Order: sequence, then C-alpha cells, then structure tokens
Amino acid sequence: MSKTAKVSGSVVAGFPSPAEQYQEPLGLRLPSKADAFSADILDLNELLVKRPAATYFVRVEGDSMIGAGICDGDLLVVDRSLRPADGDVIIASVDGDFTVKTYRRDKSGVRLEPANPNYPVIRLRAGQELDYFGKVTACIHRFAGKR
Amino acid sequence: MIGLVDGNNFFVSCERVFNRRLVGRPVAVLSNNDGCCVSRSNEFKALGIPMGTPYFQLKHREASGELCFCSSNYELYGDMSRRIISILREEAVDVEQYSIDEAFIFPPTTAAADYAAYGRRVRAKILRWVGIPCGVGFALTKTLAKIANHIGKKRPDGVFLMPDDPTEILAALPVQEVWGVGRRLPLKLRAERILTAQHLRDAPDATIRSIGGVTLLRTAMELRGVPCHEERDYDADPDSISCSRSFGEPATTAEALAESLAAYTAQAAAKLRRHGLLAAGCNIYAQVFASGGGGDFLGRTVVFPAPTDATNEMLRAIREEVDTLYIEGTRYRKTGIVFFGLEKPGTAHQTDLFDDTPPAEKSRLYAAVDALNARYGKGKVFSARHSLRSACSLPHGSRTPARGGYAQGLGARSWHMKRQKLSRRPTTRWDELMTVR
Repeated sequence: MSKTAKVSGSVVAGFPSPAEQYQEPLGLRLPSKADAFSADILDLNELLVKRPAATYFVRVEGDSMIGAGICDGDLLVVDRSLRPADGDVIIASVDGDFTVKTYRRDKSGVRLEPANPNYPVIRLRAGQELDYFGKVTACIHRFAGKR
Repeated sequence: MIGLVDGNNFFVSCERVFNRRLVGRPVAVLSNNDGCCVSRSNEFKALGIPMGTPYFQLKHREASGELCFCSSNYELYGDMSRRIISILREEAVDVEQYSIDEAFIFPPTTAAADYAAYGRRVRAKILRWVGIPCGVGFALTKTLAKIANHIGKKRPDGVFLMPDDPTEILAALPVQEVWGVGRRLPLKLRAERILTAQHLRDAPDATIRSIGGVTLLRTAMELRGVPCHEERDYDADPDSISCSRSFGEPATTAEALAESLAAYTAQAAAKLRRHGLLAAGCNIYAQVFASGGGGDFLGRTVVFPAPTDATNEMLRAIREEVDTLYIEGTRYRKTGIVFFGLEKPGTAHQTDLFDDTPPAEKSRLYAAVDALNARYGKGKVFSARHSLRSACSLPHGSRTPARGGYAQGLGARSWHMKRQKLSRRPTTRWDELMTVR
C-alpha cells in the first residue's frame, strides 16, 4: 500500500510475450471488495483512504476554516503518515485542543492560519514544537442530515 | 533474527494520541469496572505507584489534580493494535501477534545489514502513523528478543540488538525475569544456585530438566541462541491468551474462515479458564496472500458485552465480525485470535443481570467441556447452538444488520459496567469522532 517497489519488465515488440514477464508491482495491497467487483462498484475508501493504518476521520466544529471550504460539521480525512508542507491543511494540537488550520512555515517560523478573518493566526513561541497530528487529505461535506 | 515490538505503556499511549492533555502527566488506565491500574505512564510510575493499585486508594489524589485516570477503552486499544500489526506486516516477512501490544517479527533479508537501523525505521513509522512509541529488540531467539526489547525500551532510540555474546547481559538478569520461567520456579532454581539468566543458560541439561522439565530446557536452549519456541500458544504464559494457525492449503471459503476462528476461540477460551481469567474482548485477524506475492492483514476488534470466559458468549460476539473478514476470491493464509483485558473474576466484576445462567452452573458446564476435551482431544466438544458455521450460513435477509445490531446489543447490556472515565472511540464509531476547531 504505502511502498510500491517498481519492478519494470521489458516487452519485446512484435511478439506476444509470456504472461509471466508482466509483473505486478510488489507493493502490499489489501484486497478490497473493489477487486472482486471492480467492473461495477466504486469504493470511496479506495479513493480517499490510501493508507488505512495511518488514516483517521475527524469532525469539524466551528467555522475557522470556512474560507477553505471546510464547514461546521464536515468530516475530514486525515493521514498521519504525511509530513506537513507549507500551505497544507493540517490537524495539530494547540494547548491540548485539536485544531484544523493551514500550516505556514517560512523564515519567521511556523504558524497556523485560519481561513476566516474572525480568528487569530496561531504562532508558535520560540522553542515550542508543533504538536502535529496529521495532514487533511479530503473534506466530506454533506448537504442534508449532516450527522 | 527475530524481533519483538511492543507498545510502551500501551493503553496510556493510545489515550494520549487523542487526548493531548494527558501528555507529560501521571496517567493510569484502569481495569474493567474501574478497578485498579493496568497501564501507567512513565510519570505515574515515577511516583512509585505499583501496577494493580486499586483506584479507590488513589481517588483523592485525582481530585487534587495530581493524577489522571482513564477507564479501559478496549475498542480503541484493539483498533490501534490492528493498525500497528498491519504496519508490521508491511515491514516484516512474518508477524506473530503475541498479545494486544506485543508482536514477534521476522525481518526481511534486506534488514540484515543493520538490524538496529531497520528497527529504528519501523519504530519511527509506527510512531508517526499511529502515534504509539514502541520498544524494539532483536536477537536469535524469542526469549533473547524479549530481553533485548526490555533493554531497547529504556534507550532513547527505543531499539536494541542483542550482541553475539550476550553473557554480560544475562549475568545481570535475575532468572525469574526470563520469559517462561514463571513465578513458581525461582525457589527450586535457587536451591540449585541458578540465580541469573546466565546460570540457567549454562546449567547442565539434566539439572534444568529435573527442575522445570522440557519447558524450562527449551527456555535454556533459547538463551543459548537455539530457537525452540516455534509458533505456538505459549501455554505457560497467562500474559498472552491467543491462538493462531496457518492453513495447510490456502483457505478460500467463508466456512473455512469461520470454522478456524471458532476453533481457535474455543482453544484460547479453554486456556483462559485454565488460568482462571476473564477477557474483556478480542482481536480476530486473518492473513491473506496478496496479489503481489506478499501477505496482508485483516483484523477486527470485538469488545464483549461483559468480561467473559464462556466460549459461546465469545462466538456470539464475534460471529458478525468474522463475516466481515471474508472477501470473495481471497486466499487466506492464516487466522487467529488474541484476547485482551484479562482479569481475575470477582475482583471488581459485577454479574451480568441479563444472563440467565447462574455463574456457578456456567463454570460447571465449562469445567465439564474442558475435561472432555482434555480427555478426547482439543475441540471435540463445543457448543453447537452457537457454532459459527450455523451463524454464518444464515441467509443474508435474516441476519441482523452487521454493526448496528451488535452495537445495540452491547449498549443495552453494558450499562452496568462501571466505566466512568471512558474516553471516546474515535476510530471505530462515527458518533464518537475526535473534533477539531
């Protein structure tokens, strides 16, 4: 799943090559129901959850990220295996509470930016380490009967 | 080379992933019914409060804000455990889960150049992906790997590779701390002047045999670097109540999967009763042959309505989940079950008001079942009424909704369990997700 060792084989043009020359990537794959019925079922897990062991779902409370399209009650897909890069939407803990914000990192240091002018930017104090939880990889917004 | 990976203060570490206020504080997780401390943070240990201390003795120190407590949230711990095992399955050639927070791993040949570096990489991956700090130990045998793991856990990088000549380490290790020696033997060992692991390793085979039979001799052989603990049920060790087997031929049917898990549940439950323990729940798992040639891991966590040692109650609780492990067209390599939340009955456990079988009668029933099985062979006598096969062959329409039905049953029956400090189950329940602002 996470690691896909690329094994490249060669195919001789013009001649049918034996089936064993075609090699599947040696990646470890969970067989999903999608494998058995790949012709007629699309599984959202396949699309949204690349690494099940590292993936967590969290619920949004409040509108601090409304400008990024993240609304109160939305469901976020969070991947802990990904390191945060400047501009990523992440989950981190600030003073013991989890928050969703845009991660910013430059010469002035690390800060967490809301996407709503009513909320303050969170700056890490000198020597304070970011208590990072994971990177938000998707936002699921339901239109009716949210919960 | 064999590795042993285990989660540090596992239950507390699981709680801390989702409750950051617990980080850096003295925290303990309590047994079923909030009885006593079963997992302690380093800060808690540093206060000198031993494992097993009853909660009521510490309540006043919680009120003053000095100590923090959590009720045991086995559904969460089981899920975190499954995540760790699935990572190990990606990183190792084979994984043998030994208990909810411990697994033996067989590293790939590519790790041979530098086992410590491999261990650090695996450890870092688990820490980042799941948030649980682990100890990792490598050695030639499982018994030595256990010792290496204890040393690794105390090191800043969490990893220790047993040196080719471990004499110095074994000389410093009291013999009763060796895995498998048990608490009854040290007196007899002392009589023979076997006080350290080194003494046991170097004692004559005949002496060892006369003290602890072939089991102790195996332990001594393992200390000598000769692997003797094949995959087995670790019968003498009540810390691990588990059972797993590889299929002779890859299994491909739902029946084979269900029957194997039912049989292992019955075997593991018998061991539970032999040790006079109840289990709060279990992880069931199946390893499959994946298309790329590697293996993969499917698992489910089941928390029993109340702690139990009754095979039929367990089968009833796991049957729906067993069904969800089956995927058509998949070749299964191995199945297994690991119990968790083990405790002696009667301590803080209340009787189940909805169970019509009086406890005494129930234990007589299983005493009889166990006696018959001991006489005529494992698994000859089991509960037909609740056999998984009949449960799994129900037509789809007549089955209760997989999760909903079970969850409702659990909710209705578990109200009397005292779990006042229960955290949420943010990885297994949609209505208990972690919230972010």
